[in-house]
Amino acid sequence: MKGMLEYSQGDTVIHRLNPLTKMLLAFLLCLSSFVSSHILMAVGIIIINIIVAGMAGIANKAFSLLKTLLKIGLILFLLQIFFIRTGNVILDLPLNLYITDTGLNFSVLLVLRLVGATMPLVLMLTVTKMSDLTNVFVQKLHIPYKYTFAFITALRFIPIFESEMNGIIEAQTARGVEFDTKNPLKKLKLVLPLCVPLLISSVKRIEGSAISAELRGFNVRQKNSGYKKYNFSGRDYIAMTASILTLVVSSFVA
Amino acid sequence: MIEFKNFSFKYKNGEKNALSGINLKINKGDFVGVIGNSGAGKSTFTYAVNGVIPHHFEGDFFGEVMVKGIDTVDSSPSELALSVGSVFQDIDGQMVSSVVEDELLFGLENFGVPHEEIEARITDILEMVGIEDLRYRNISTLSGGQKQKVAICAVVSLMPDILVLDEPTAELDPQSSHQIFSMLRMLNEKMGITIIVVEQKIMLLSEFSKRLLIFNEGSIYLDGSPQEVLKDASKLQDIGVNCPRVASLANALAERKLYEGEVPVNINDAEVMVRNIIK
Repeated sequence: MKGMLEYSQGDTVIHRLNPLTKMLLAFLLCLSSFVSSHILMAVGIIIINIIVAGMAGIANKAFSLLKTLLKIGLILFLLQIFFIRTGNVILDLPLNLYITDTGLNFSVLLVLRLVGATMPLVLMLTVTKMSDLTNVFVQKLHIPYKYTFAFITALRFIPIFESEMNGIIEAQTARGVEFDTKNPLKKLKLVLPLCVPLLISSVKRIEGSAISAELRGFNVRQKNSGYKKYNFSGRDYIAMTASILTLVVSSFVA
Repeated sequence: MIEFKNFSFKYKNGEKNALSGINLKINKGDFVGVIGNSGAGKSTFTYAVNGVIPHHFEGDFFGEVMVKGIDTVDSSPSELALSVGSVFQDIDGQMVSSVVEDELLFGLENFGVPHEEIEARITDILEMVGIEDLRYRNISTLSGGQKQKVAICAVVSLMPDILVLDEPTAELDPQSSHQIFSMLRMLNEKMGITIIVVEQKIMLLSEFSKRLLIFNEGSIYLDGSPQEVLKDASKLQDIGVNCPRVASLANALAERKLYEGEVPVNINDAEVMVRNIIK
């Protein structure tokens, strides 16, 4: 999953869509996979996902995402299938467990829905720059810049804190703390106290960050300060129509 | 350009003054290097210039700090930011975006630089520093030196008259540090930007700065051109500031009456000095 949400550079049709269109496309695909109550339709939506990913030149990423999601789906599938007791029994197992046709149908659909609903959102984020997304939120949806800035800063600080935490763990390892224990509970016990130094250094860093943003005029920003403009073009309308059509079709195919 | 009149400052929960009795004038186009031990008040000094003190950190403020004839108490940090650009030690912390172009846009957008002017500003500054190929790169993929260059570009694109840098090379290797200082010299000479840089590497300061300020325990201990300041090697040793090796060599030669000229501030000058003595 590492690097899954990272932006992958490109200049395809999908990349050039308005960020808002991409959001809508992803959201509607997500919704379609929920309203579809037919296994074939759910598979169809996953295929649409992969086709769109292919158009954006990230088919490899889509497949590896699909693999990861199917692994999670398998666990869900196993959990779910034994709990549905209605319908005709198609497989009898010891311990009073059995699989019914309704159960099988439901579980498969559940997994496919989960995969179909997760893929578009993740894939959308990999072909959209975070800054474009927040800019368009400010310009078109009139969300205050402060909120989007806080959001983008939070995202940006995750890897910074991660490396800071690694630094602290390394320093403690050098002093003889055995973090490489196999017992997860013991490991948790060892890591938890490190949150204090992490917190202290993070607060310090964030203070510095706030000062530097302030000194670059964060407080004097106006509503229309944004330099990049995000207009809708023909391809945006085509993509929107296509995604609405998908939703309509998937809600009527029972 | 910048004037300190009897300036003292004590942080809110501090035990003693971080800075006390500072009287200082910095002229336009100067390149001032600041050095001193930790706790000597170097960072406080930079905060006083860019208005973070008294606007962000609370404490007891005495005296006056004038930047371009305006008292820093009377203006806001954002207003001051148009004349004083600031660059910090924490390279990742001072970034606000994930792409180089957006990093530059942030300040330009905030201060309402006319949109038709923005493109030229970005291309000009990137070209001048020679990092135009980094424009669309993700900041997390850059090296420390490149990141710091981007940070400086982002600030310089706002066309400040003064640039204040607090240990900009603390996280960098010697070669990148040298590049950053060459870049500062270029900005100083080409654009006439007054530069104030706090730095621990005295060799870099003595080579690049026109004026050296040595801080000790909250006050200015020595003030003068690098040549003047480095002549007093014993005084520097008293407060635990290292002398560059070329200056130590020159001072040792002077003690033995073998050399009496200006203290060399870089390797080339030192070579000339040694060659002359050997002749």
